[in-house]
Amino acid sequence: MIETKRLKKVFKSADIETVALAGIDLKVEEADFVSVMGPSGCGKTTLLNLLGMIDVASSGSYRFKGEEVYSLTEKQITRLRKQNIGFVFQNFNLIEELSIWENIELPLIYQGVKKAERKRRVMEVIDRLEISHRKDLLPVQLSGGQQQRVAVARAIVTRPHLLLADEPTGNLDSMHGEEVMNILDELNKEGMTIVMVTHSHHDASYSRRIVHLFDGQIINENLNRV
Amino acid sequence: MWGSFFRMGFRVLMRQKNYFLLNLAGLTIGIVAFVFIYLYVENALYYDRSWKNYQHIYRVNETYSTGGKAEKMALTPYLLADTLKNNFPEILQSTRLFFTDPSDKNDVSSVNYRGKMYDIPNLTIGDARVFKIFNYRFTEGNPDSCLLHPNSMVLSTAMKQKIFGSNPALGKKLKTSMRQYTITGVFDNKNRPSHLEFDAVISITSLDKQEQKQLNTNWFWLNCYTYVEFADTVNVRKFTQRVNYFTDTAIGKFVQKQKIKINGYMHLAFQPIQDIHFSQGLLYDSHSNINVTYLYIFVIVALFILLMASINYVNFATARSLKRAREIGVRKVMGALRKQLMRQHISEALILTFTAFIISLSLVELMTPVFNALVNRHITLVHSLFSGSGLVFGFLLLLFMLLLALLSGSFPAFVLSSLQPVEVLGGRGVVFKTKKRYSFTAAGLRKFLVVIQYLVAIGVIISTLIIFAQIHYVKNRPLGFDKENVVVVNSPADTSFRGRVKGFVAALQADSAIEQVATASSLPGYLTGKILVSTGDSTDGHMQTLNSFFVGYHYFDLLKIPLLEGQYFSSVTENDSTEHFILNEAAVDFLHLKHPIGSYLYTPMAKKGKIIGVVKNFNFSSLHQQVEPLIFVLSPQYVQYVVVRINPAKRQEALAHLQATWNKSNKGYTMYYTFLDKKLDTLYSSDQKMLSLFFYFSLFVIFISALGLFGLSAFLIEQRSKEISIRKVLGGSEKQIVFTLVKEYVMLVLIAGLLISPVVYFFIEKWLNSFAYHIRLSIWYFVAGIVLVLFIAFFTVLLQALSMVRKRPVEALKYE
Ligand SMILES: Nc1ncnc2c1ncn2[C@@H]1O[C@H](COP(=O)(O)OP(=O)(O)OP(=O)(O)O)[C@@H](O)[C@H]1O
Ligand SMILES: [Mg+2]
Repeated sequence: MIETKRLKKVFKSADIETVALAGIDLKVEEADFVSVMGPSGCGKTTLLNLLGMIDVASSGSYRFKGEEVYSLTEKQITRLRKQNIGFVFQNFNLIEELSIWENIELPLIYQGVKKAERKRRVMEVIDRLEISHRKDLLPVQLSGGQQQRVAVARAIVTRPHLLLADEPTGNLDSMHGEEVMNILDELNKEGMTIVMVTHSHHDASYSRRIVHLFDGQIINENLNRV
Repeated sequence: MWGSFFRMGFRVLMRQKNYFLLNLAGLTIGIVAFVFIYLYVENALYYDRSWKNYQHIYRVNETYSTGGKAEKMALTPYLLADTLKNNFPEILQSTRLFFTDPSDKNDVSSVNYRGKMYDIPNLTIGDARVFKIFNYRFTEGNPDSCLLHPNSMVLSTAMKQKIFGSNPALGKKLKTSMRQYTITGVFDNKNRPSHLEFDAVISITSLDKQEQKQLNTNWFWLNCYTYVEFADTVNVRKFTQRVNYFTDTAIGKFVQKQKIKINGYMHLAFQPIQDIHFSQGLLYDSHSNINVTYLYIFVIVALFILLMASINYVNFATARSLKRAREIGVRKVMGALRKQLMRQHISEALILTFTAFIISLSLVELMTPVFNALVNRHITLVHSLFSGSGLVFGFLLLLFMLLLALLSGSFPAFVLSSLQPVEVLGGRGVVFKTKKRYSFTAAGLRKFLVVIQYLVAIGVIISTLIIFAQIHYVKNRPLGFDKENVVVVNSPADTSFRGRVKGFVAALQADSAIEQVATASSLPGYLTGKILVSTGDSTDGHMQTLNSFFVGYHYFDLLKIPLLEGQYFSSVTENDSTEHFILNEAAVDFLHLKHPIGSYLYTPMAKKGKIIGVVKNFNFSSLHQQVEPLIFVLSPQYVQYVVVRINPAKRQEALAHLQATWNKSNKGYTMYYTFLDKKLDTLYSSDQKMLSLFFYFSLFVIFISALGLFGLSAFLIEQRSKEISIRKVLGGSEKQIVFTLVKEYVMLVLIAGLLISPVVYFFIEKWLNSFAYHIRLSIWYFVAGIVLVLFIAFFTVLLQALSMVRKRPVEALKYE
C-alpha cells in the first residue's frame, strides 16, 4: 500500500536548517499494522504528515497504492486522502466551534454519506469509545483523555483504508488506552492498514511491525508477531 | 515617557503596513465624506443669512385663487414694492427684481464687448434699491446709485472677470442686439450663499416708458419678486392682515375699473428670507431651493458613514489584538503593567487617527472643486472653517478623533490585559477556554457591528436603485405627445421678428431634413401662462383661471397631440378673425362643459372665442403634478418659439440648415435652441441631483463596508486557519470549506437586509408620493439591493478564504 524511497524532509528557517527526515525507505503492506517508535524530535510526526499527504517531502518518492503521490495535483491528492486516510493528531485538532457529535460527523459529511447512515455510524463509534454521554458538549469542555478518544472516533468513523495515529493513547489512562488499542486491533483484523506512533512498548506490542526512528533515520525494523 | 510609546507605536504600525493602510484608508474616506456633507449642510443653513439685518428681510409671496383653485407663487405685481413702501411706514425699504427664467434664453443674455460675445447665464432687471437690501460689497461703482439711470448694468465679480479680466469695468459699454449698456458697478458675491443667483442686473428704468406705466397700474401681472425690510418692532403676522385688507381694497378698485368679475382672491404673505432656500411648493421659486428632508437624510448618512468608518477601526483593532493576546500574556507575566499596555495601544491609535485627520482635510481641500460642480455650490473649506460654526465643527471633529483613538486603543487593551496571565498562558485547555470566552464576546460584538454596516449599505443601495428607477420612469413615460426630435428655437427679443416669421418658417420648411415647423409662445416643460375665462355669455360670468398656451396653426400636428373631438387649429383659415380655442380634457371637466365643440368662452376684455376642438390630456408640466386644465389660444402672431420637427436621420443637416436660415433672417442675433426632450429632462434636475448624491453615497458606503469586511475577514480567517486545515485533512473540498466560511457573512447580510427594508420602504414611499406618476414599489428593488451587497460580501470573503484554503494544511496544524 505504501512505499517510500529516500524520503527526506528539511525545514529551513532564516538561519538554520533542520533535517527532520534523512532518507526513509519504508514499505507498508495492505492490512499491515506498523508502530513507529523513537525519542522526541526524531521525526515521527513529520513522517506521519508525509504519509498522510498533509505535507510534502523535500526529496524522494512516495507511492501510495501504486501511484506516485508527488506527481499528482493538489486536487487529486485531496481526493486520495479523503477516500483512504484517517488521521489521529498528536494534539487532537478538534474543531472548537463544533460539538463532539459534529466533529465526528464532519468527515462523513465531506464523504457525502447520507444522514441516517451518518447517525448510525457516529453512534456506533461513540458508543464504543464511551463518549456518547458527552456528544453535545464542545471540545473545550472535555478532559485531554476524552478529547483524544473523540479524535480517534473521528478518524475511524469513515473506516479508512489507512489509519495514521500519532500517539493515540498518549493522554489516556491504562483502561481507556487498552480499549483504544483493542479497537485498533479489531479494525486491523478487519483489514485496515495502521501506522501508529507510540512511546509505549505495550501499545506497540499490538502491531505486527515496529519501526525505530532516530535522528530522522530508520535504525531498526523488527517483526512483532506473525 | 509618552514619547517612547509613540516611537514604539510608530514602529509597530510601520511593521504592519497593510493593517495601517487599510485602517487609514477607511478612516480617511469616512472623514472626507463626513466633512463634505457638513460643508454642504452648513452652506445650506447659511443661505441668505449674510445680509445686514437679514432677520428683518422678507420676500412677499402671493396666493392667487380663482374658481376655488388656489396657487401659491413667489411672484407679485410690479407695483407692489412701491405701493407697500409708500403706504406703510413699518417698511423701511423695498425692492423688486424681475422674474427671468435662466434656462430659457434669448439674445438679451448675450452681450458684445469689443466684437466678442459673452453669455450672461443669469441676468435680471432690478430697481435702484436692490443693493440697499442686498448689501453686497462693491469692488467698483456705488451700490446706491448704480441702478438709477436707464441702460445701466451691474456685474458680479466673476462675470466682470470673464469679460474684462483684471481691467476695471466701470463706465465700459456692453452691446446687445438692441441696446447698449453702461457698467455702473461690480459686486462681490463670493461666499454669500443666497437664493439670488444673478450675475448681472439691468436698471428697471431701461424698460420702455409705456411698459413701465402699464406695469404700474396692473395688479394681475405677476412678474416681480418683491422684497421688504421691516423696522425692528413690526409684528409680521398682524402686519400681514393689515396689508391684505389694504390690497383687497386696491385690487377691488382695479377690478371694477377693468369691468371684470372674479370669483377669487389674491393674498400676500411675508416669508423670512433665510427660509426661502428650504421652501417648497411655490411656483416660480428659486431653482436652487432644496427640500429640507434631503438635508436630514444627508446628516443621517454622514453620521452613518463616520460611524461605519469608526466601526471598521475598532473592529480591526480588536481582531488584531486577539492575535496579540498571547504576547500580552507573556508580557504580563514579565511584569508589564496594564497601564503601559493601554498607552501602547492608544499611542498607536493616536498616530493613526491624526494621520487620517490630516490626510482627509487635505483631500477635502483638493476635491472641493469637484464637489462644488456636483452639488452646484460655491463652497470653500477654509472659508467655512473660519466662519460661523466652522471652528466649533473643526474642534468637535478633532475631539471625536481623539475619543475614537482613546476608545479603540483602550478597548482591546483593557479587555485583554485584564485577563489573568495564567488564563492566557496556562495549560492547553485553559488557553482554549479563556480564548474561547473572550473571542466569543468579541465575535458577537463584531457581528453586531458588521450587521450595522450592512444595514446602512443595503439601505442606501436600495434607495439609490428606487430613485434611479423612478427617474428613469419619469424620463421615459409616454407623455401624450411626441417629444423626440423636436428643436425649440427661441425668437429674438425684437418685435420686428413678427414680420419675418412667415418667411423664416417657409425657408426652414424648404429643406427635406425638416419635417414640420410651428410657432408657439408656450411648450410642454416651459413655464405656463394663465388667463381668465368664463363660460357665461357676458362679462357677468365668473372668471376662472386656466393654464394657457398661445400657439400657431400646426402646433398639435407637430407635437402629435391626439384629438378627441372637433378639429385642430390647422383647419382655421388665415383670414378668419374670430378667436379660436382648443381645450384639453381636464379643462372640459373643470369648466363643466357638456358639449364643448362650438360653444364660446369669454376673456376679460369682453372678447369671445369659439371652442373648435378637445385634445387628449398630455403631461405639459413635470410628472410631480397631475395634468391640469389647459386652454390653447390660436395666436399665430405671438411667436416666442419656433418649433421644428426634424428628420432624425438627417439631424446634422437639419441643424445646419436651421442655423443658416437663422443667420439670413436674423442678422446679428445669436440663435438659442434646445431639444424639447432635453428641456423636459430639466424638470427633474433636483431629483437627478438627489440621485447623483445617493449614487456617491452608495459608492462611499459600499467602499467603506467592503474595506471593513475585507480587513476583518482577513483576520478572522487567519484566526481560523487551523480549523480550515483540519477540515481539509478530514476530506473537505475547497468548495465546501469556503462555503462554511462564507455562509456566516451571508447570514449577516440577510439579517441586515430584513431589518432595513421596512425603514427604506417607509421613507422612499413618501418620496415617491411627491410624484403624481410613479413606479410601483416592487419587492425586487429590495431583493436586488440585498443581493448586490451579498455579492460584495461574498467576494470579499471569498478572496480571503480561497487564499487561506489553498495553503498547505500542515502549516497551520503544526503549532498550536
Ligand atoms: N514546521 C517545522 N519547522 C521547523 N522545524 C520543524 C518543523 N516541524 C518539525 N520540525 C523539527 O523536525 C524535527 C522532528 O520533529 P517531529 O515533530 O517530527 O518530532 P517527533 O518525533 O514527532 O517528536 P515528539 O515525540 O516530541 O512528538 C524536530 O527537530 C523539529 O524541531
Ligand atoms: Mg510528534
